[in-house]
Amino acid sequence: MSGSENKDINEVNSKWLDAHYDPVANLYTFSSCVALADLNGDGESKLVVGDLGSGASNMKLKVFKGTSLMTENTLLDLPTGLVAFHMDQNEPRTPAIAVASGPFIYVYKNLRPYFKFTLPPLEVNELEQEVWSQAREDKIDPMSLKEMLEGIRNKAQVPLSVRSLKFLMLEHQDMESFVNMHKQQPIRRQTVITCIGTLKKNMADEDAVSCLVIGTENMEIYVLDPEAFTILSKISLPSTPAFMDVTGQFDVEFRITVACRNGNIYILRRDSKKPKYCIELSSHAVGLVRVNKNIVVGCTQETLHGCTQKGKKLWTTYLPASIVTMGLMDHKSRGFQAVLVGLANSEVHMYRDKNLVNIIKTQDVITSICFGKYGREDGSLIMTTKGGGLIIKILKRTAVFDEKDTTPGPPVAQSVKLNVPKKTKLYVDQTMRERENAVAMHRAFQMDLYRLRLTAARAYVKALESNLTPMSSSASEPLKMNAVVQGLGPSFKLTLNIQNTSVCRPSMNLAISFWYDEKLYSLKTSFFKIPLLVPGLNYPIDTFVECLSDKGISDVIKVFVLQIGRSNPLLTAHINMPVSEGMALC
Amino acid sequence: MNLFHKLSNWLRLKRQEANVLCVGLDNSGKSTIINQLKPSSAQTQDIVPTIGFCVEKFSTSSLTFTVFDMSGQGRYRSLWEHYYRDAHAIIFVIDSGDKVRIVVAKEELDMLLHHSDVKHRRIPILFFANKSDLQDSLSSVKVSQMMGLDNIKNKPWHICASNALTGEGLQEGVDWLQDQIRSLKS
Repeated sequence: MSGSENKDINEVNSKWLDAHYDPVANLYTFSSCVALADLNGDGESKLVVGDLGSGASNMKLKVFKGTSLMTENTLLDLPTGLVAFHMDQNEPRTPAIAVASGPFIYVYKNLRPYFKFTLPPLEVNELEQEVWSQAREDKIDPMSLKEMLEGIRNKAQVPLSVRSLKFLMLEHQDMESFVNMHKQQPIRRQTVITCIGTLKKNMADEDAVSCLVIGTENMEIYVLDPEAFTILSKISLPSTPAFMDVTGQFDVEFRITVACRNGNIYILRRDSKKPKYCIELSSHAVGLVRVNKNIVVGCTQETLHGCTQKGKKLWTTYLPASIVTMGLMDHKSRGFQAVLVGLANSEVHMYRDKNLVNIIKTQDVITSICFGKYGREDGSLIMTTKGGGLIIKILKRTAVFDEKDTTPGPPVAQSVKLNVPKKTKLYVDQTMRERENAVAMHRAFQMDLYRLRLTAARAYVKALESNLTPMSSSASEPLKMNAVVQGLGPSFKLTLNIQNTSVCRPSMNLAISFWYDEKLYSLKTSFFKIPLLVPGLNYPIDTFVECLSDKGISDVIKVFVLQIGRSNPLLTAHINMPVSEGMALC
Repeated sequence: MNLFHKLSNWLRLKRQEANVLCVGLDNSGKSTIINQLKPSSAQTQDIVPTIGFCVEKFSTSSLTFTVFDMSGQGRYRSLWEHYYRDAHAIIFVIDSGDKVRIVVAKEELDMLLHHSDVKHRRIPILFFANKSDLQDSLSSVKVSQMMGLDNIKNKPWHICASNALTGEGLQEGVDWLQDQIRSLKS
């Protein structure tokens, strides 16, 4: 079992080349904040990462070239998403980077800040505004302000602004200063961006102008114009979007698939202000990837579901560990698409439809996955780890992924066709003859068989009559003998085991004689007497044989058990002597 | 006629010919190196990514080289193996500034060395650690270490750092290659 596992690991390693591993690259990010883009238009793709830093500080926009960091820009807030997109038709065709962070989208061109888009402010609760204006004029003290805000929070349709919510959280002594600090500014309510994607404007080309698509905390999706950053389209959702996939062209037809925090997936289309289809998952989504026209979604219950774009569920696969991140592997030049799933057990599983086609073992838990062109290599797999490491792997040119699942099933050999030779004329003739003369052939066979049996029986009887067997057949002296030869030669030890098989009659006056070729062997004593044989006991009798030849030949030694006064031997044994191997000693 | 042939060979009046295969990853500078080795009158200004392969000729003091300049792009690399059989020597160009893809170059080299047309032949291999002018380029020692060149036991090999744009290091490599081919042919 472990052997086959090892083989699997080796096989996995044979598909990928380990191009780079830096365990201390200081990159803390998720798949949504990683992109590969040819930022300089020199044909070499760079890795653009929205680094989360420690979560409170050190947020950076980092660009990697090869194994080293090329540039970094400081970000003001945590990035929630990062995309590279073409925002104009200008030559050279270099993409811009959009980083979603809080309520803003920061757009970078040539790695310089270019534009900041702010989400439109939301409607503010009128009562709340009223209360704060009273506070500004010092008509009410902080305690009554708190009471009134709490009242509004519990009843109102429009939720409170962030400022009021923060105020309600404060301890009594901090309230006064907070009110004094903030009361002059007007109240604003703003939502934040939860996910970001791109949508081609009106052409399907790789480097066509794209719109930004953003999902917000207040359950809406906006499509932004690529140049003016005005809102082109706005769609409401029943819940807050968490993961988003966009396909199509804005001016023609598009489809936005969003996995929401209520555990449902909604599929939106052009010209529909409401979700067109809804997939209700049994647990919350942790990743969403579109492969061709199907949606693959990973859930918290360690499952992977495949659905059509109309929301019909196709398959479910169970995973060995919980999902940390998901990514699409789209190898365009080979036309190969698969889903990469980073698991909590430091493995990356590659699924093609529901079939597991590859497992990559990694040094640490993978938090972000990105497959695409890096540098000049098309099949690069960029992963960052939980510990801030960076792993770059390159797909081998010769790597082939089996269509078949690696999980057990009928072996391939079962469906291999055997190369059965064609029937020859001789074979056909024989078959015809057998069919026509079956009875005669059977009779002939039976006759020969009876003859063979008769011959065998006669030979047996003859052997018994002349006492050529190691079993004595005479009723007066029932004996049994077997012989053992020990040694490699030229000296052999010959042990004869003689047993009286009668019930109660002892055997007496027995002798043993040997017959052998005197040119080949010499025996110390070739004739000796046997003592009285008690019934049932085994008498071993030893003698030594010396082989005289050094030519590597052997012969038969015959052993005769004789009764004194009888000319016929009682029994005979033929001993096939082994070839003497110790000729050097002679 | 035959006698004259031998005589001219002996006097080295007629240059011997050698087929050389030039391989390496895309953008490693194969065509630029070949272009630099050609006589200055035949050189071109623009080097564009090679499609399929190109056949170029240039000569040194005693040999005429026919170089098969193969394309290094992934989809054309499968063409390389068809030319191994007729090659008297191999030039393998490595981009010493591309650290990430050294493993890919190593993989391609391993496949080359294990190919049945190369495996048992004493075919000289010349490595150019090209683009040595780049700031973060690897030294030729480092490149040979990362490529595992020490493991090549049954073939003469040589690595030299080169800069194909200026021609630096190219002559050293070609001189070595010429000596190797002549010692193999005689």
